[in-house]
Amino acid sequence: MTGRLSFVVTAMLVLCALSLVNAQYQARRLFIELERAQSAARQLDIDWAQLQLDQSTLGKNSRIEALARRDLNMVSLTPERTQYLTVRDK
Amino acid sequence: MTRMPPRTNVAGGRVAASRGVAFSASPVLQVKMPAWRSRVVLFVLFMAFLTLAGRALWLQGMSTDFLQKQGASRYARTLELPATRGKITDRNGQVLASSVPVKAIWAIPDDVQEAPKDKLRELAKLLGMSDAELRKKLDSDRNFVYLKRQVEQDTADKIVKLGIAGIETRKEYKRFYPEGEVMAHVVGFTNVEDTGQDGMELGSQKTLAGVTGSRRVIKDRLGRIVEDIEAVREPHDGKDLTLSIDSKIQYIAFTQLKEAVEKNKAKAGGIIVVDARTGEVLALANLPTYNPNDRSVLTGAQLRNRVLTDTFEPGSTLKPFTVALALDTHRVTPSTVFQTSPGKMTIGTATIGDSHAHGPLTVAQIIEKSSNIGTAKIALEMPAQEMWEMFTNVGLGQQPKFGFPGAVAGRVRPYKAWRPIEQATMSYGHGISVSLIQLAHAYTIFARNGDLIPLSFTKVNDSPIGQRVISENTALQMRRMLETVVAPGGTAPQAQVPGYRVGGKTGTAYKIEGGKYVKKYVSSFVGIAPMSDPRLIIAVMLDEPSAGSHFGGTVAGPVFASVTANALRALNVAPDSSVTNIIIPKDALEESM
Repeated sequence: MTGRLSFVVTAMLVLCALSLVNAQYQARRLFIELERAQSAARQLDIDWAQLQLDQSTLGKNSRIEALARRDLNMVSLTPERTQYLTVRDK
Repeated sequence: MTRMPPRTNVAGGRVAASRGVAFSASPVLQVKMPAWRSRVVLFVLFMAFLTLAGRALWLQGMSTDFLQKQGASRYARTLELPATRGKITDRNGQVLASSVPVKAIWAIPDDVQEAPKDKLRELAKLLGMSDAELRKKLDSDRNFVYLKRQVEQDTADKIVKLGIAGIETRKEYKRFYPEGEVMAHVVGFTNVEDTGQDGMELGSQKTLAGVTGSRRVIKDRLGRIVEDIEAVREPHDGKDLTLSIDSKIQYIAFTQLKEAVEKNKAKAGGIIVVDARTGEVLALANLPTYNPNDRSVLTGAQLRNRVLTDTFEPGSTLKPFTVALALDTHRVTPSTVFQTSPGKMTIGTATIGDSHAHGPLTVAQIIEKSSNIGTAKIALEMPAQEMWEMFTNVGLGQQPKFGFPGAVAGRVRPYKAWRPIEQATMSYGHGISVSLIQLAHAYTIFARNGDLIPLSFTKVNDSPIGQRVISENTALQMRRMLETVVAPGGTAPQAQVPGYRVGGKTGTAYKIEGGKYVKKYVSSFVGIAPMSDPRLIIAVMLDEPSAGSHFGGTVAGPVFASVTANALRALNVAPDSSVTNIIIPKDALEESM
């Protein structure tokens, strides 16, 4: 009787030990995955900041004005050449 | 026969062995050893165990802390979690300053010595320095030398790829300013440590700066993080800052000011555009300026934020305050006449004068023609204390609370010390010093209906509550007078804006050097637009214009006009005047100084 009981307990112990090993392994694997996702998020943040900066650099007024005047031959509008329309409220 | 017996003997011996001999009969036991030998062995064994136990106790009990620390240092690492500095954006969300991660390249000089020559040459090229320069940096006794800081990521990656032993990188941040010199004085800049040094970068350092966090982790053989050992101290990124600046108007103001400074060969210039409804600073520009992205050559003159930190004698731009006080206290009406003939007036031992003798002028005309004598006569009818209170109430001589570092208070001397001549000259803006931003701020009482609101460099959501200085009626009367200044008969017809009714006041004053007036001028103009429903207050100042004219109307007036025209259009303000052709008289009136 005691022989069988100790066999069962031993088996359970081994199973528990194995599942612990497995759980530990899974935890580490998931943790590494999390780390990877977090660093990807950080990289995306950096890219976002960089893109915003690029947008500002490309969209800065001096550049737009230079392009409009030089490449597109545009001139600034003056009141003499502006037709103002007044919309009457109904 | 003689051959057999040995065989039997051998066989007999084997039989005996296999059967076994009784233990007690073992011949080994028959050997008598001295008793002390076993005792010695026992004692040695006992001592060995005792030593082991002692050693174990020692390690476990006495030096456990030290050993655990040593162990941890072999698998645990403390990682710094960097926090990003907040961005600075303009009121429409356009980025004006942003931090991007870069690398600092550092070296352990001793380890680099063995590196092959061609690799070092390549490294020098990537770092943008000569071989000799690099060698000089590496020729050091220290074991940590920065080779170059704020190296962009791409270059840093290439350097790492060279694989030179002893060359390491460290993460840091570099701040980029896409608008460059246009915004330099508003935004300011940071140093290599990403700490604010000037402008709003310094003014809002506390909220912009992030708090770095840290975490302790276990790393595996491959350098991957396996586990957190302690609770993570999260990093806190800095808060983004939304300025009140409108980058479009800022650009307009900057380019027009630049043009004017070049045209008038001025030493310096400043301009500020304020939203009269909210008190927000829409634009603030100074010349000379600098590029915050490349600060290798910087002079004090470039760094100076003249609008905020330079005080000057404003001259005639202060006359409206004297007149407004007289109107508000019902001492005069706009049509009260003062005799300004013959254009000279002696108070005590000093004589003041107008550039032209105008004869009798109404109060309104005194402003239009900018008569010193007229203003002085109005001022002398009032007690000094009331004038001092007026100046103080609009913020002159008061430490400004704009949330901007370095703003100065200017100087208004206590009224008890005023002599009549001083009261007279102060009424038209001499013997008093103000900064351009204070002037623009003070003019809010005319642009709004008599109340003063605080200025702000950050975006304002609710309209602020003003503090009443003059009555609504006085403010309206003053606006009418200021409008006549830019009319063909005033001192600044050049400040007219096609399509909009505008008004303002010119100012021309001598500079003081070493306590004496010198023949150098500061020309200024403070204006309001559009007059039907004031939206903008624009103040322009040019320091030492030297290309002919030095009068506020001709030097600063046109800057005001072009900035106003463009800014109102950018703000979608409907025109309130049908006048599209502007007449500027050939010889416009020169103002008095």
